[in-house]
Amino acid sequence: MSIKRRGILWVIAALCISMFPQLTSMPIHLVPITLLPIVWRLLAEFRNWKPLPMVLRVFATAVAVAALVLTYGGLIGRRAAVSLLVLMLSLKLLETFRTRDARIVASLSLFLCGTQFLFSQGVPMIIYIIACLLSSLTALMYLHRREAFEDLGKAPETGRGLYTELGFGVKLLVLAFPIGLALFLLFPRWSSPMWGVPEDALDARSGLSDSMSPGSIQGLFMDDSPAFRVKFEGRIPSNSERYWRGPIFWDFDGSSWKTSYLSRNLLATEKPELAKAIFRYEVQMEPTEQRWIFALDYPAMVPRGVQLTMDYQLIARRPITKLREYVMASDPGYFDSRVLKTTLRRAALELPEGFNPRTAELIADWRQEAASDSEIVRRALSYFNQQRFRYTLNPALLSRHTVDEFLFDTREGFCEHYASAFTVMMRMAGIPARVVTGYQGGWFNEIGSYMLVRQSDAHAWSEVWIKGSGWTRIDPTAAVAPSRVQQGAIESLAQRRHMLDYEWLRNVRNSFDVFQRGWNNWVVAFNSDRQSRLFSVFGWDFVDAVKLVIAMIAAILIISAIIFLLAPFVLRFRSVQRQDPLLQSWQKFIGKLTKAGFTARPSMGPLELAANAIGQLNYKGEAITRITELYVLCRYSKNADRQQELVEMVKNFKLQTIS
Amino acid sequence: MPTIAGTATRRSFKDAIVDRIKQRVLVRRGPLTPPFELEYRHIFVLPTSFGWGFGVMLAFMALGGLNFNNNMALMLVFLLGTIAQLTTLIAYRNMSGLRIESIYSEPVFCGENARFRVFASNRDERQRFAIQAGFKSPQDCKDFKLNSSESFRLHQPTITRGWLEMPSFRLETRFPLGLFKAWSWIFPQSRCLVYPSPARNAPALPKSGHGHAGRAIKGDGDEVHGLRKYQAGDSKQRVAWRASARHNQLYSLDMETPQEEACELNWELLHGADAETRLSILTAWVIAADHKQLSYSLKLPGEQIPIGNGVDHRSKCLELLALHLL
Repeated sequence: MSIKRRGILWVIAALCISMFPQLTSMPIHLVPITLLPIVWRLLAEFRNWKPLPMVLRVFATAVAVAALVLTYGGLIGRRAAVSLLVLMLSLKLLETFRTRDARIVASLSLFLCGTQFLFSQGVPMIIYIIACLLSSLTALMYLHRREAFEDLGKAPETGRGLYTELGFGVKLLVLAFPIGLALFLLFPRWSSPMWGVPEDALDARSGLSDSMSPGSIQGLFMDDSPAFRVKFEGRIPSNSERYWRGPIFWDFDGSSWKTSYLSRNLLATEKPELAKAIFRYEVQMEPTEQRWIFALDYPAMVPRGVQLTMDYQLIARRPITKLREYVMASDPGYFDSRVLKTTLRRAALELPEGFNPRTAELIADWRQEAASDSEIVRRALSYFNQQRFRYTLNPALLSRHTVDEFLFDTREGFCEHYASAFTVMMRMAGIPARVVTGYQGGWFNEIGSYMLVRQSDAHAWSEVWIKGSGWTRIDPTAAVAPSRVQQGAIESLAQRRHMLDYEWLRNVRNSFDVFQRGWNNWVVAFNSDRQSRLFSVFGWDFVDAVKLVIAMIAAILIISAIIFLLAPFVLRFRSVQRQDPLLQSWQKFIGKLTKAGFTARPSMGPLELAANAIGQLNYKGEAITRITELYVLCRYSKNADRQQELVEMVKNFKLQTIS
Repeated sequence: MPTIAGTATRRSFKDAIVDRIKQRVLVRRGPLTPPFELEYRHIFVLPTSFGWGFGVMLAFMALGGLNFNNNMALMLVFLLGTIAQLTTLIAYRNMSGLRIESIYSEPVFCGENARFRVFASNRDERQRFAIQAGFKSPQDCKDFKLNSSESFRLHQPTITRGWLEMPSFRLETRFPLGLFKAWSWIFPQSRCLVYPSPARNAPALPKSGHGHAGRAIKGDGDEVHGLRKYQAGDSKQRVAWRASARHNQLYSLDMETPQEEACELNWELLHGADAETRLSILTAWVIAADHKQLSYSLKLPGEQIPIGNGVDHRSKCLELLALHLL
């Protein structure tokens, strides 16, 4: 295979590797559009097709960009922008026939690799970054060789194999790592960004959202990615205490729940006293692109840049676009709202007209029979518990009267069905109620002694306002499937979520999360704060950019000096040439003679060499002659079976240095 | 008669200045005439245009990574930056220690490319990859195995006859990624002799030379030249039966082709034409005479070469023509 072909194949490989994560998160119909130019280029390579005419290339680009704009509704947003980059790079292959274009593609593949870290900085990305680097470096090496030789119309004499190029790349990477690490640790970081991501440039939101309709949490339930990790100081909450409060919904339109303007913008006038907070912990939250941050009921602290609303949601001023850490304390025994304001009571009782008549009838009956609000709550819970309700992942679809159909017909559902139905029932009974979404549960990692909460722990429950106890958490799902709260959502389901959904596998994965957490702590969350903490070891309390730069330059100089000194040993690049074993043992033999004081001239043939050696070394034995004769025999007659004999003889050959 | 500059190549004024500066700056850094070994002071390293582009890309990535404190993107940038920096050392080491042994060239006719062979050797226990050589742009590229030597083939168009001083040339490598180039300028003190270009429609060879006929050419011919011992394969008709009988040994007749008259190639024969045309016609005549294996003499104003033939004679004549009046 010519260097030219190898070069282009490596460029394509580098591009494919670096676009892989983006391909998996693109809308599915964009994937074939992206892959098509790559396939064309591969075919063109092997069938020696000519480059497409300019008009066709422009047309293809226009079509692809149009498809992209239609899909994303514009080119704003990180996903859309990166998708555009991927698409353009793929289309660039249509005209990549010269070294220059191929180099641009190989370099921009590395750029693409960099953009992927906007979306994920997890441990698997280490493999991704290494694969991208190696493939691009290999491609660039082949392109350099192509430029040096083939663009001059010459053919290189030393054939160089895959191992050489890849091994070379590995070597470069290993050598670059110490300085890379020093730069990483010491390069001055900005304590605050110079520019932020515009609000409308956000996309790929993950986790709980600002509305809840049947099926929304169910989708999250399939997602095993971590939502946040919590390190507790002191007491760790029991399973039934692990309610992580998130978005709270007041407005119901008959099918879905939405946050209300009031709840988002009215700030809390009072909050739990910090002294009374039982749980003290530090949360490390994965980016969600949303503004909620999570805390156990009821948060007693408000982190910087976050607001505490009147219904005790913690809403950040800016969307959480990267790993966020905050210290938090919670008081589960807090008395929430002794008095309920009229506006809020009205909001917590409002229901759309003309929905769910059967439920309304049932509740009217209960209202007449019940003496107090708490009794209705109890009755509703026992209704869920005693009627044959099923907790399932695949509930039947509901149409207009969602609550009616759920309560009387299908009787199967997921936490959001129960929470929604229960809240509607309470409002019908005249009890102020709201839906709370968040996470319930968490897996305690013994090795790292922290709690891991995954997206699949997402949960929905209700809160009702009862005179004398204020807003009270009621979890209707617990009435149907108590194990949901005791053990977790996955364990309480009868069926597996997917093929590989086994408990032991989940436990293994949960244990491995300790690496991800270490990675998060040391790499992803590394910032100017941690950078200066690094220096407290040396007794420097305050570290400014100048000191950092000095330290960085010093470190680079020291490491460079070491590399420079080691260069004769480590920078010795050799192409792999399959050595002839016969020649190898012959050269070993010459080596032994040279050691004994014989100088072999390159011009000497084997027989001449032997005669000279015997003369020069004043050698009395027969080994030199025998080895030489055997070598000549093996070399010039087809006597391959004696090759081993020669190897043995050379191995055993010894010479006393003449004194 | 047109005046001809002292050097054979007519270079532009700018080229001359650049060359002057190069020499001023570089020669002071050590002798750069073969044989010599490339040392650190001979080798320059700078980014290629691709390298600059790559650097700009890295700068953008670093800016984004710093702004969003995206540590993995920063790590990627730092690794790439370090690798790029490392390639300067690799490119430098690829050049340093390379030994330029000698330069060889053969005379050419004006209009042809002057061809130079630059012999270089690698005496180190490390391979060197993709070292290019060329005057302005690279013309040849070679890999060097351990302890090996290679030759670069360079060529330079010729415009005028005479000595062509080999211009300074560049050894360059962009190994391994093409981000940086390490190069050295070599000032060879070599020259290539450029013969006048032979005239296309030269008049026929002058026949009426005064010289005596040259030696006839042995081998198959029409006239008997002498006797020699019989060799297997000689034709029966050629055997000298009488002489053989006399000496008890077979003899064959040695035949020869009679030589045409020698010719005198004289400058004066071409009056009317200018000097260069005359030289060019004379060159064509020398070639033609040599081709026909005639003996010839060459006469130029103030210089002349007596009658003769053969390769050496031809070279002597052509050299005289090449250097006449320079």
